[in-house]
Amino acid sequence: MEAYVQALLSGLAVGGIYALIALSFSITFTTTRTLNFAQGEFVSFGAFVGVTALLVLTGTASLSLTYPFALVVAGVVAGVVGILVFVLAVRPFAGKPGMSWVMSTIGFGIILQSAGLALWGPAPAKLPGPFGEGIIRIAGAGVRPQEVLILVAAIVILFGFEAVMQHTRLGKATRAVAHSPDVASLMGINVPVVMMGAFAASSALAGVSGVLIAPISTASLYMGLGFALKAFAGAIIGGLDNPRGCIYGGFMLGVVESYVGLWHSQWREIAVFLLIILVLAIRPNGIFGARTLQKV
Amino acid sequence: MALLEVSGLGLAYGPIRAAEDISLQVGADEIVAIIGGNGAGKTSLLKGIAGLLTPTTGTVRFSGEDITRLAPHRRVGLGIALSPEGRQVFPDQSVADNLVLGAYARNFARGELEAEIEEKFALFPRLAERRNQPALTLSGGEQQMLAIARALMSRPRLLLLDEPSLGLAPIIVRDVFRIIETLRGRGISILIVEQMANLALKVSNRAYVIESGRITLDGKSADLLHDPRIRAAYLGVSHG
Repeated sequence: MEAYVQALLSGLAVGGIYALIALSFSITFTTTRTLNFAQGEFVSFGAFVGVTALLVLTGTASLSLTYPFALVVAGVVAGVVGILVFVLAVRPFAGKPGMSWVMSTIGFGIILQSAGLALWGPAPAKLPGPFGEGIIRIAGAGVRPQEVLILVAAIVILFGFEAVMQHTRLGKATRAVAHSPDVASLMGINVPVVMMGAFAASSALAGVSGVLIAPISTASLYMGLGFALKAFAGAIIGGLDNPRGCIYGGFMLGVVESYVGLWHSQWREIAVFLLIILVLAIRPNGIFGARTLQKV
Repeated sequence: MALLEVSGLGLAYGPIRAAEDISLQVGADEIVAIIGGNGAGKTSLLKGIAGLLTPTTGTVRFSGEDITRLAPHRRVGLGIALSPEGRQVFPDQSVADNLVLGAYARNFARGELEAEIEEKFALFPRLAERRNQPALTLSGGEQQMLAIARALMSRPRLLLLDEPSLGLAPIIVRDVFRIIETLRGRGISILIVEQMANLALKVSNRAYVIESGRITLDGKSADLLHDPRIRAAYLGVSHG
């Protein structure tokens, strides 16, 4: 019984990371019809920016104060670099026929990773969580405090995002751009700026995810790719064009993965990707995706 | 000086030419119609004026200022609003939020924005009843009214209407044109593109006829209504 509760909580925690990154894919896809294939590198990059921020602040305050600061710094730095991705690797190709942006964003990721290696070296870094390494008991199950933190942080961020999209002028404008950039521009919305903002928000989410996951994963410059791939799978399951669907997809994937791992860890990846194939066979646009095919 | 002055405008989608050497003017407080068949280049012309399509030749001037290459969102700020073909309301957003977005260029204070929205609801009472419904739940006619109301939210000096009758039942078309009629004398110039030539000619002061991307005829709408060429080609009336 405890093992099941434990697997559920761990699955939800990792699922929270998948959900954040899945949402980050959805944000650029809905607004610009492009994806940042450097998202995995942004996760790793964010973790190392966080580690660096913590190092700079070592001894100045307790970790429970510096860790949130590291989260914010990682989000801001990743967001700014995300603007660079848009300006350099996406804007020149977006809305044009062809898929040049696929290669250019992958290329940007490789540059980011290489720059990270030059700056921080290939060794994994230690990023401590703010609540230590102890185990806390929830319903008899042992859970790491960082897992609880991830889950809470993910839920807060996801609800915050939803509130901004539904109730603010900026959120409404972003949804207008997602529906049609041309019609949005007829409202007086500066569409390129909104798209740039979407890339900034998307990259910031990836960077923050890196700082959240690093304490329970190994913070290496290679760690991001695996998370981004799973998160992308979660986004596809949920429906790339539906931000809420992406969030559900991310959590679902985390929990499925965790339960299969309980049974046989070697079967984890097989189960996950079988699930994706099954879902797509029944619903080609994902569980929560638009039912109509995208107009070309 | 005309409010809108288009001269020698050429428009193209890549290698496909949509319009050539279009020159026209819209004066202050004037309602001008552009009539022509399907694919004549009417929508492309409005896109060129609103900034969604960059002209290959010619210029667009708005109250004396050259706006030929100005980004579309900046043109809204200057006072040009387009109610696009096929209505294009934001389907997942409420009627009220569609109107809020229509005022995006204006940065109204909250009270001012509310007043502006209420004014639109007074003009389109059908929309008031549905203010919190997502736009996709509206009927075609209601969506058309929302598209026009949304365009009016930016307090335009020039309103561009692209095929307001498209896909609507005749009785709804009559309602929509009645509302366009009420906009006369409010300090808004209107350029209306329409396949239903008789309606467009009845509501407008002047009109241009566009065929295969070129203007072939222009004049006072009242005269064009009785022009045998127009009657034969667009009003479904044979000679004699």
